[in-house]
Amino acid sequence: MKSSNAIGFILLVVGLWLFTATAAPAAADNPILYEGDSIYHHITIRQDGRERCMIFGRQRDLRQTCIDLEKPDASVFEYTSMMFAGFLFRPDAKTVCLIGLGGGYIPTVFRRHLPQVRLRTVEVDPFVEKLAKQYFGFTLPAGQTLSIDDGRQFLKKSKERYDQIWLDAFNSDYVPAHMTTKEFVQLAQSRLNEGGIVIQNLFCGNNLYDAQIATFQAVFKRVFVFEGQKSGSCIIVASDRPAFEPAEFRKQAEKWGGKIGSIDLIAESGKCRVAPVLKNAPILTDDFNPANLLLMQKK
Amino acid sequence: MRAAVQGGTYMPVVYAVFMLLLVTFGAAVMSLEILSSNLMSPYFGGSIYIWGSIISSFMVHFSVGYVLGGHLSRRLPRISVLAALLVVCSLWVILIPAFYKPVCELISDRIADVRLGSLAAMNVIFFVPVSIMAMVSPYIIGITACRRGPTWLTAGMILFISTVGSFFGTNVTAFFLIGLFPVSRIITGLGLICLAVSLFTLALRPDRRIAR
Repeated sequence: MKSSNAIGFILLVVGLWLFTATAAPAAADNPILYEGDSIYHHITIRQDGRERCMIFGRQRDLRQTCIDLEKPDASVFEYTSMMFAGFLFRPDAKTVCLIGLGGGYIPTVFRRHLPQVRLRTVEVDPFVEKLAKQYFGFTLPAGQTLSIDDGRQFLKKSKERYDQIWLDAFNSDYVPAHMTTKEFVQLAQSRLNEGGIVIQNLFCGNNLYDAQIATFQAVFKRVFVFEGQKSGSCIIVASDRPAFEPAEFRKQAEKWGGKIGSIDLIAESGKCRVAPVLKNAPILTDDFNPANLLLMQKK
Repeated sequence: MRAAVQGGTYMPVVYAVFMLLLVTFGAAVMSLEILSSNLMSPYFGGSIYIWGSIISSFMVHFSVGYVLGGHLSRRLPRISVLAALLVVCSLWVILIPAFYKPVCELISDRIADVRLGSLAAMNVIFFVPVSIMAMVSPYIIGITACRRGPTWLTAGMILFISTVGSFFGTNVTAFFLIGLFPVSRIITGLGLICLAVSLFTLALRPDRRIAR
């Protein structure tokens, strides 16, 4: 009897610990507003001054999304500004598919400044959607839709086509490996309308960046890069027939009044160049995909 | 000398065959486990679900292999029987690169839930070879029990040798092979190595070299 009592006691303590160990909202002066785990990530939401960020993983510098609470449409990160410069290639875009929600900064800019564009956002983690709504003011206006699914599976199952596909799916390490391959880029290409573009968000300082450029070049006729000046972020823009060339960007940007919200398109257009031909970079495929290893090889 | 008195005497070649089988298939099984995530993720995503399916499927295959291996080693305590099964297993592994794509394609089209889909795909692709690979340790334990192995070759020692193989299989695959070769080629290579080891074992006729 004694041993069964002891076992019962241990089970009780473990049970209580499990139930009380769920993440609790922090005190007012603590910059951590939320910390907990979804099935995909360890997620932290922290606020420093006016800036509120969603962070995946334990590395505090890997911020997925940050918003300025007073100006939620201001681009805290350089990469989001560069992604919006994608509109210079395809200004008449009516439909955009965004893969990777994060805190919902990009959909917020679409909601406020590009209401004519139908935006379909795809996010794999239902808990990220919940946190985006709760902490980042993410809402779905008419004209925007959100699907909870893996980006690659979504594109495969849904036969819908878009004028632009924005790839911003990141886990706590990097872009998920199955969304770096030639087969995936071909799938995205097959979901584009005539003259559509794919925009991929990346970091530049590793060998995976070169491999991804080579992989896009293996699929698309034209590949451009925007290289960040203030950050280690880079953007790949790929298309078979872009509506405009970089030389015409300034004129295009002026048509938009130079800006989308507070994003300075003229400044961003200056970062664009034709992607270099990289002889030693491997083309990633579903079969040969050392994405994780290439990521660790810094340039 | 005590070993010879208390246990049976096997010719050195028998020990070598045991070691070879334990290390090779211990390594191959874990290498396949690591590689299977590359096969699954294009069709079922790269989430924790995939790893749940991979690990749980392999555990099921291991348990089936343990029971069958133990049972067969009592009925037919001959290394040649095990080696013949391993030939089948190796041929299956060699064929995986040829059939995994249509299998995953078919299953991911029919089953919307990635958990169920990846579990189904893992079992279709890996049930046969991994179950047979898992038979190696219990089979050798059974043979040494039935046919009086040397005292140092305990069940624990057999599991230890196989686990050392698994350690190398896991790390060599994850740290080096995936960066150097296409996954399909690694799997074919593994299958060929396994086939060579199995045929080599059969050719050596180790059963004749066990003293009765």
